[in-house]
Amino acid sequence: MTDLKKSEVLQGTLDLMILKTLHALGPQHGFGIARRIEQVSRDVLSLNEGTVYTSLLRLLQQGWIKSQWGISDNNRKAKFYSITARGERQLAVETENWERISSVVGRVLRLEEE
Amino acid sequence: MAATKMSWMRAFTSRVRAFFGGAARDSEFDDELREHLDRLTDRFVAQGKSRDDAQAAARRQFGNIGVLKQDRREVRTLASLEDLGRDLRYALRTLWKSRGFTLVSIATLGLGIGACTSIFSLIDNVLLSPFPYKGSARMAFLQIHDLEKGNDGGRQGYTSTEYLAISEQNHVFDGTTAAAEDPVLYKTGDSVELLYGVHVTPGTFEFFGMPALLGRVLQPGDYEPGAPPVFVMRYKTWVTRFAGDPNILNKVLVLSGTPRTLVGIMPPRFGWYEADVLIPEKLTPDTKPMFADFAADWFFLGRVRPGTTTQQVEADMTVILNGLAKVHPQDYPKRFTVLAKKLGDTVVGRFESTLYTALAAVGLLLLIGCSNVANLMLARATSREKEFALRAALGAGRARLVRLLLVESLVLAFGGAAFGVLIAWGGLKVLVAGMPQNLIPAEAVIELNAPVLVFTLCTAALTTLLFGLAPALQAARRDLNDPVRDTGKGGGSGLRTGRLRNAVVVMEVAMSLVLLIGAGLLMRSFVALREIRLGLNADHVFQTQLPLPAKRYETAMQVRSFFEPLLARLKATPGVVEAAESSTLPPFGGVDTVVEIPGKTHVDDWHALWTHVSEGYFRALRIEFRNGREFTHVEMNDGRKVAVVNETFVRKYFSGQENPVGQHVRISKLKELSDPVRDPVFEIVGVVADVMTSGLQSPPEPEVWIPYTVTGSGAQVLFVRTAQDPASITNLVRQAVSAVDPGVALAYPSPLEERIGDRIYAGPRFGSWLMTVFGIVGLILVTVGVYSVVAYATARRTHEIGIRMALGAERRDVLGLVIGSGIRLVVAGIALGLAISLVLGRVIAAQLNGIAPHDPITFGATTLLLVATAVVACWIPARRASQVDPNVALRYE
Repeated sequence: MTDLKKSEVLQGTLDLMILKTLHALGPQHGFGIARRIEQVSRDVLSLNEGTVYTSLLRLLQQGWIKSQWGISDNNRKAKFYSITARGERQLAVETENWERISSVVGRVLRLEEE
Repeated sequence: MAATKMSWMRAFTSRVRAFFGGAARDSEFDDELREHLDRLTDRFVAQGKSRDDAQAAARRQFGNIGVLKQDRREVRTLASLEDLGRDLRYALRTLWKSRGFTLVSIATLGLGIGACTSIFSLIDNVLLSPFPYKGSARMAFLQIHDLEKGNDGGRQGYTSTEYLAISEQNHVFDGTTAAAEDPVLYKTGDSVELLYGVHVTPGTFEFFGMPALLGRVLQPGDYEPGAPPVFVMRYKTWVTRFAGDPNILNKVLVLSGTPRTLVGIMPPRFGWYEADVLIPEKLTPDTKPMFADFAADWFFLGRVRPGTTTQQVEADMTVILNGLAKVHPQDYPKRFTVLAKKLGDTVVGRFESTLYTALAAVGLLLLIGCSNVANLMLARATSREKEFALRAALGAGRARLVRLLLVESLVLAFGGAAFGVLIAWGGLKVLVAGMPQNLIPAEAVIELNAPVLVFTLCTAALTTLLFGLAPALQAARRDLNDPVRDTGKGGGSGLRTGRLRNAVVVMEVAMSLVLLIGAGLLMRSFVALREIRLGLNADHVFQTQLPLPAKRYETAMQVRSFFEPLLARLKATPGVVEAAESSTLPPFGGVDTVVEIPGKTHVDDWHALWTHVSEGYFRALRIEFRNGREFTHVEMNDGRKVAVVNETFVRKYFSGQENPVGQHVRISKLKELSDPVRDPVFEIVGVVADVMTSGLQSPPEPEVWIPYTVTGSGAQVLFVRTAQDPASITNLVRQAVSAVDPGVALAYPSPLEERIGDRIYAGPRFGSWLMTVFGIVGLILVTVGVYSVVAYATARRTHEIGIRMALGAERRDVLGLVIGSGIRLVVAGIALGLAISLVLGRVIAAQLNGIAPHDPITFGATTLLLVATAVVACWIPARRASQVDPNVALRYE
């Protein structure tokens, strides 16, 4: 575990990651999303997995994702989340923002180090 | 910007949905979380942990479920709803703290809403749509208007021949009916009661389109000759006379000697012709009139075909009646036209304008009320600018501030609305009780008018919101530091709202003056009306009509055989001063007749109203003799042809030097009576002072009185002058009548004063009473308005006043300063109000008697009253300001 311990992830970042996950994998339930983020971040980023649900609610309210009841891989009833067209647009915008900001932040940080 | 607004909207709607979705979704959410935890636990178990350890690890990795649920609730619900509760509590607390302001606002709004709603409900129920009948808006009656008489109006009764001609030959009605009154004597036990019976023509009930409440309405077969005699009863009669007993249906009642079966009771709102009982009658050209001397006793009503104009109806009727006039020219004026009047016109007259004036007044009241609230809200919001600035500085968003004010305004509006509904409800009850009953059609049901209530409620709520929010929005938009820095004691800040407030006060004063002047004019007009001399003394006089059964009382001898013993018996009763008979009820004169004075020639017909009386008549009513003498006992006994005329008669038909006493007059109409007078030439023996003949507004017409022993025709009214309360004698009279003839009943017995009061004073009294109430309420409201504005402005100037006083200003100067500032507004308002009143004078003129619509006394008095009240309203804050301790005022920061 690194310094980026539990839930230090910025709110907006988690939203962005969930959007990206749903964009990449299609409909997923909460557990699957948590696993995917865990896997992609190579365990660097360890979440309080509950915060995924807060994030999902936020995204639902914005209309960027939608939810639907379905049957999970272990044959149990689960709620599946999928990205909406509006969510796709938002993802594009946010991704661009993120890249711009992170590059700026990166540059600033490098500047400090020099 | 647009995108964020949209997403905000979506979030909001989803919150609202979630808020109402509630518990079900909460449990779904719980399931979802539990599932996630279970899967995590399974995963840890698979990694080799014990079940307990795995569960603990899973919970650790998942995080705090409680916090999560809390998060979810906050995101999900209208967190604002909790804020709303907080705002509501806060609003109630602040409103409670300024109880005076709250009370005044709520009372003001309530009065406006209540008064407006009740008056409009009254107008709607009484004037606009009182009749529940099918197509009542198209129902019309007809008048034969004599073109040689200037005024509107004319004969409204028709003969059976005329009715048949109209109903068969017309091209304009899709239904017709006719009604003729027939007082019905109904025997119950020992006594006889009078029912107001009305005969109706075939198709009447189909015409009105109302089914019976119990039993059935009259059917075509009932009208046929030889059909079993039946009748239908009105609801009110059924309840008051027969205690609403359903067993009475199909019983046989003896009405005026004919046994008739009661086949139906009509619903409460059926009140056609105010008939107690409705009796079928098929008209034929030979139908005998109910009263021998009034052949034209059928009141016609037709329903005009949709799309047919009044002009078309009048033209069609004029053609038909002109045809008849060629056959019977004596029954028609030389040149006439037929007027068609709406059924609704039967409930108009002076009363209509009274109600519309009241509506205008109440509209003004609502305006004043709303301006008052506007003013109060403006003043309050301005004085709270600092508070809001502080709130904003501490982080309250603009929306939050606006919402705070919105909630406060809404609380006020709701309070006012609740109070208003109460006032409207109670006010309508008071109005109905105070209203002259004979002016309300029997069919009218007076109830609150819901659309109007909603309208006034909305108006009031809108005012409150508008004027509560306008300053708040302004404040929120401003640089937040400004008001905080502002000491608030100069005149500078809030200049704009200050000007708005002043304008509102000026308007308020103007409208209140208009109201006061209206009330003053109506009041003075009513006083003037009371001062018009009727020409008789109605005080301590009892009157009743005595419809005598026509079969037994045809000739003068028969009528006399009833009245002579009755009058003798009454005169012998202790407490009775005089008793007399007459064929009419003054001040509504007698029957029109053509008169001739032998020896005088003239081109036009000379007209007069004739009445037959017994010898005590002029004494009983205290009618003064100007010349000659009253009828003697001998003249009465012998039925001599002698007459008494009034001053107008003498003035019109005799020249100044002639002595009318001893002259003769021919009363042509007497020849045509059912009990005719041959050679009706009468010797004039006396001249009396004028008595009003058609109410108070029209000048008296020529009148001639003759002994009642000359003819048995004409109606009978009994007058009894008493020493005590005239109402107390009713039973004595009833006993006396019954002793002479048990088959005669009293009709409409009452003190004469009451009867006259009902018919001529009730309307104007109601109008002036109503306007006075409105005027006073308006005055109170405007006092509050002026006071609140001056008090507020003065409070803002406390600092300035302190400085002035420190620099040597006297109390007197301060008083003058404050009162002066208030009076300036009042004077402006009065100028405006006077101007408006002068312009509006024309509107109210129709309701005024004997005074001009710009009566200077009324204008002066009401203006003085308003100024005096305004000075008091200014004086209270002025005194407070003058008592300011300069030290305190200057130190206060």
